[in-house]
Amino acid sequence: MPENYDEKAMDKDAQFAERVAGPLRAAEHVHPSFEKRVMEKVYAEGPLLYPATVSRPSWWRRERVFRISPLAGLALAAGIGTIIVLSGVALGSRLSTRPTAAAQTASAPRADTVQLVRFVFVEPSAASVELVGDFNEWTRGTTRLQRSGAPGVWVASVPLSPGRHEYAFIINGSRWVADPLAVKSTDDFGTESSVIRVGAAVSTT
Amino acid sequence: MTGPSDSELIAAVLAGDIDSFSGLVRRYQDTCVRFAVRMLGSRVDADDALQSAFMRAFRNLRNCREPERFGGWLYQIVINECKTYATRQRRRELRFTPATNVIERAVAPGSEPEGDTDVGGHIEYALGMLPAEQREAFLLKHVEELTYDEMSAMTGVSVPALKMRVKRACDGLRDLLEGVYHA
Repeated sequence: MPENYDEKAMDKDAQFAERVAGPLRAAEHVHPSFEKRVMEKVYAEGPLLYPATVSRPSWWRRERVFRISPLAGLALAAGIGTIIVLSGVALGSRLSTRPTAAAQTASAPRADTVQLVRFVFVEPSAASVELVGDFNEWTRGTTRLQRSGAPGVWVASVPLSPGRHEYAFIINGSRWVADPLAVKSTDDFGTESSVIRVGAAVSTT
Repeated sequence: MTGPSDSELIAAVLAGDIDSFSGLVRRYQDTCVRFAVRMLGSRVDADDALQSAFMRAFRNLRNCREPERFGGWLYQIVINECKTYATRQRRRELRFTPATNVIERAVAPGSEPEGDTDVGGHIEYALGMLPAEQREAFLLKHVEELTYDEMSAMTGVSVPALKMRVKRACDGLRDLLEGVYHA
């Protein structure tokens, strides 16, 4: 600080600064879309940074990336079909899978028994198929379906506890598809998922 | 402050409820934007810098050691982000005409320059002529009205150095605005 920068000079500076700063103190506001744009980035990165510990993470409730364009009818027309195959009743038991129709009834398991449910998804053009649901906290990358022996058929077996579960498929990492053969569940934002009930009987209707 | 506290919102985000971050964005976006706009002289650049700042805050939320003081922590990030943008952004096409002490903006005929704001144009242009570190110090002291201790805590620059920057900023502005304010 210069030696001659005395209090008088400081006062002069302060007065001048006050005149200059006045107009600069006028309030500014962000663009109305600012929050939305920030949150889009947050939703893209958030699930990896802060995995949800709640049953359905917020990215699923808000994110619109995975909206379904063709729903059941279009999906079927495109050759997509989903069948849930129920395994033997207890996890670890010998699997004797059989395809189910919409109302699948299994042999009656004990109510507290985890059941291995085989999800089958048919989409010949898919490069990848993931399964998301409340059983994996709607976390992408957790349950990937594998190609079966048949062309275009993707499968995954998931242990499910008794009760009602919601799920959906993600095709090629970006396209959200509800099971066209199952009961639909629509959330507050219009996104559809599917419902499976596991218990004394397993059903997608 | 209404609604959940900053600490509560941060705890929710860390637990996976990333929606809660929107509460922090809403709470602080307008607080930070004034400094960003004045510092960068452009709403477009300020918007970019603020987005980057909020995302840096989001990614580093676990490192916010005092969640109840999130605002100050975020402000530090905004200051740093603006500094980065200020060094990167192309220099605004300004020229100072000493003969008349009138600050003009050199733009192509018929074009609308970026960065128009509602505050007195001359002041903003003069501010844009200052070195970034002087501009930052002036804004923090006289526009954001922080104390030198607060400025030092946020910028990591010593109080005497900050006082010098503010003085030089005042000297520079006085020269630049002589014809406007008869300073």
